[in-house]
Amino acid sequence: MGEVLTVRGLNKSFGGIVVARNVDLTLQSGRVVGLIGPNGAGKTSLFNLISGVVKPDSGTVSLDGAPLDRLKFHQRIHRGLSRTWQHVRLFPSLSVLDNLLIATREYPGERIVNVLFGRRRLKEHDKVAREQATDVLGRMGLANVADALVTDLPYGQQKLVGVARALMGEAKCLLLDEPMAGVEGASYAAMQRVVREVADRGAAVCVVEHNVAFVRDLCDEGIFMFAGAIMARGSVAELIGDPQLTELYFGH
Amino acid sequence: MDYLDGLIVIVGLYVILAASFNLIIGYGGLVSIAHPVFFALGAYASAILSRDLALPVPLAMLGGTAVALAASIALALPSLRVSGDYLLIASIGFQLGVLEVIKNVRFTGGSSGFINIPPFLIRDFGRTSYVVLVLAATAGVIFLVRWIARSDYGRAMSAMRDDELAFASVGRNAMWMKIAIFGLGSGLAGLAGALYAHYFRFVTPEQFELLQSAAILTMVVVGGMRTTWGPVVGALLLEALPQALAFLNLPPSVLGPIQGLLFTGLVLVFMFFRPQGLVPAQDAWRGARAAKESR
Repeated sequence: MGEVLTVRGLNKSFGGIVVARNVDLTLQSGRVVGLIGPNGAGKTSLFNLISGVVKPDSGTVSLDGAPLDRLKFHQRIHRGLSRTWQHVRLFPSLSVLDNLLIATREYPGERIVNVLFGRRRLKEHDKVAREQATDVLGRMGLANVADALVTDLPYGQQKLVGVARALMGEAKCLLLDEPMAGVEGASYAAMQRVVREVADRGAAVCVVEHNVAFVRDLCDEGIFMFAGAIMARGSVAELIGDPQLTELYFGH
Repeated sequence: MDYLDGLIVIVGLYVILAASFNLIIGYGGLVSIAHPVFFALGAYASAILSRDLALPVPLAMLGGTAVALAASIALALPSLRVSGDYLLIASIGFQLGVLEVIKNVRFTGGSSGFINIPPFLIRDFGRTSYVVLVLAATAGVIFLVRWIARSDYGRAMSAMRDDELAFASVGRNAMWMKIAIFGLGSGLAGLAGALYAHYFRFVTPEQFELLQSAAILTMVVVGGMRTTWGPVVGALLLEALPQALAFLNLPPSVLGPIQGLLFTGLVLVFMFFRPQGLVPAQDAWRGARAAKESR
């Protein structure tokens, strides 16, 4: 089980509000870690700091041993990091399939030179990308909506598309921000199965989630955050059973 | 017939300007007003290269296009690194600044204009041949923009406009795409400038002032942003109207403001009654392949 993501001494505050307090974190290949904690604990902020959306005051982030600190958001994704958003953030003018096709690790179509002079390369890439997207959509149970506009889908399915899109980069490390909020029924099982598959193929996965059942069923271990700091790490059952953490979570 | 030839040339060149500006502001979502200045740079550079440096006209035209492209990248690099909003501010400054320079240096002919630009094709093959050249270039630009918008690049432009942060979150680099879009669009404006220079053989800095910015913007907005034919319809309409006004025999001091009123008035009317323009865009991106499949 290799270390995929390593975070050391991460600090960040906005004015007086501390969102990361000396955070150390490692994520390992093949393991799904649940990040839990009350609202405002700094879970999403930690994702933002790791992915480079927000610059930390101090601390380092590395992926497979290579530091990411000097890289921009899109460059970190390109190196093998992937993340989803709490509020989905799909591309509303694109179909489900196109939302996925834009998200491959390499996208030769983002260079105008390739569009003008590299038609063959684009075609070859397109063929592979379509196969990959069809496969991902099939695994998520979304095959029948591939050509629908994302805005025509119910919210739960949009969440699934968000995760499907994040899988297109075949990332080494996947950060999922509340993937289950608003998802129900058959999608619940699909999400569990797909995230487990991704980990089994060797990715390190970290999930922010309030749905305790989902975290308990899926995650190999849990991390409890409060006020920007990591308070405990252990099995999900241990964390849920800890009376002190429960008190912090519900704020009594 | 000379009048008609000139009219076709000028309308064709405005179609190129509107179509290329549509690439920048419509498809790229980049707010800039400096399009006429790249038109000017293409015209002046091609004129100077051919008259004073004795370059063959086709090469000078390529040079003019290249100068506009290079200048636009020099403008876009620093402003887009900060944020998209700075491009608008920088473009205003750039337009005013470049025109001031043109007015005040000797090798551009100053504010009285640049004269005796070498003609192209007309002496050997007649005016019609130049009209054909311009129409070919116009068609080329219309279909180039259409082709790009429907390609994999078009999918990326659509996604970038939708949500730039999400665009970065799938590993795409918005900044380079914006610079490329701005460079290509502005380069095409430079090409229009070069084509203008060797037909009319005389350019002055006043032709490229803010009124031109307003005119090109109006053509795109009134015609219909993010459509293939919108800018074409807009350019036809807005070039035909002032020509009609010219028949009223009004003095230039009255005609100028009336044209300005016409442009801003049209934008206001369209904003309230037909915000999508004459040719409405589809909300959803449809690539060429998808369109083919659904047929």
